[in-house]
Amino acid sequence: MAWPGRGTQGRPGHASQGKGVRTLTAAARAAEPLVDDAYLVARAQEGYLDAYELLVQRHSAMAYRVALRLTGNHHDAQDVAQEALISAWENLVRFRAGSSFSTWLYQIVTRRALNKVSRDRAASSLDLLPEVADPAGEPAAQTERNLAVGAVTDALLALPFPQRAVIVLHHFEGLSYAETASVTRSTEPAVRSHLFRARRALGKKLEEWR
Amino acid sequence: MSGPVNDPPPGDPAVRQLLGAAIVPCGADVDLLFEQVADGCGADRSAHQQQCVHCQAALSELMTLWDPVAELAAALVSPPPGLAAAVMSQVRALVRDIWYTLEITESGAIRIAARIVATLARDCARMVPGVRVALGRSTQGRIAALAEKATFGHRHPHAAAGVLGRTAVVDLAVAVSCNAPVHGVARDIQRQVTATLRDQVGLRSVTVNVAVDDIVDDDEG
Repeated sequence: MAWPGRGTQGRPGHASQGKGVRTLTAAARAAEPLVDDAYLVARAQEGYLDAYELLVQRHSAMAYRVALRLTGNHHDAQDVAQEALISAWENLVRFRAGSSFSTWLYQIVTRRALNKVSRDRAASSLDLLPEVADPAGEPAAQTERNLAVGAVTDALLALPFPQRAVIVLHHFEGLSYAETASVTRSTEPAVRSHLFRARRALGKKLEEWR
Repeated sequence: MSGPVNDPPPGDPAVRQLLGAAIVPCGADVDLLFEQVADGCGADRSAHQQQCVHCQAALSELMTLWDPVAELAAALVSPPPGLAAAVMSQVRALVRDIWYTLEITESGAIRIAARIVATLARDCARMVPGVRVALGRSTQGRIAALAEKATFGHRHPHAAAGVLGRTAVVDLAVAVSCNAPVHGVARDIQRQVTATLRDQVGLRSVTVNVAVDDIVDDDEG
């Protein structure tokens, strides 16, 4: 398993690599990041399907990543991300101008993920790993790191969903307390309280693993 | 569930004690120290922390503990290839398709979906000098209804073929460079899109509505 650093790819405000637009020219691709989400949302609301396609390309990586962290397996994550992006299209008319599209999408993904894990609690951490590494074929330090990441994954999935959500949104996605509160329809003190408990729970699990 | 009852729990007793406490001996709040570490500021120590061995020890332990979490958070997660395409495929299915009836030949009918026309128009507009972003929409409102009504006959072979069969109405929303002559760019778009749709799709009558609704600084991007 090799997970290079994520950088800013797929983060809010950053355009993704733009795969999937077969008809776009290189010049068009270069132009995509020039317009912000608000512009694209406004055009999409007017019926420009192109605009929504660009939004999907920008945010599908985020939707999938968050869904994966929250559900614990690739299949559910793909379902959740897909459902969320379609639901966003269906409800775009209700989206308020001036709001952040990414925050709104975080909300939809988180809610869909909660529904998914509520229906099926049998999430397996093994499925979080993109490939099964052969311990005999890699350096000991790498194996150790993989085990540590696996332990974190297990610990994360063992958290109650509200705690897992705030850890993923704040520590993994880099949302502020206010943004996390907005996504989870909570308050900043409640988010911090969940984070305090979640970090201790994670810490205890990891301390046992060490 | 297994092992002798008297076995000590695994792990580091000092860390276990730290995580079980509300404060460290100097009075510092463990949750706040953990928050500092988890927010990536474990090394940014306050004046007190620079002097306090309890805080230093706690921060060091917590940083070691949190390392794998930070590593997982930084890991790249690639979405399945085709996710965006799958989403757009379903979105398009939700959007009512309006067909342009182009031609009835001896072999049958040729129909091209409006969204194809819109895509060609959009890509053509993007190639016009001065255009930075272009979004295409096939038809809207009354015009769409008219086009659909006119081409409806095509689904009923005995009805008259659509008078609007070779007519397209395309809306384009574009952002242009700040130094470009806006009106000239808009006219160029109309000319080139019209020519493209006539040449590539065989449309006879093409109406191209251009809305220039954003100016982009050439230094951006």
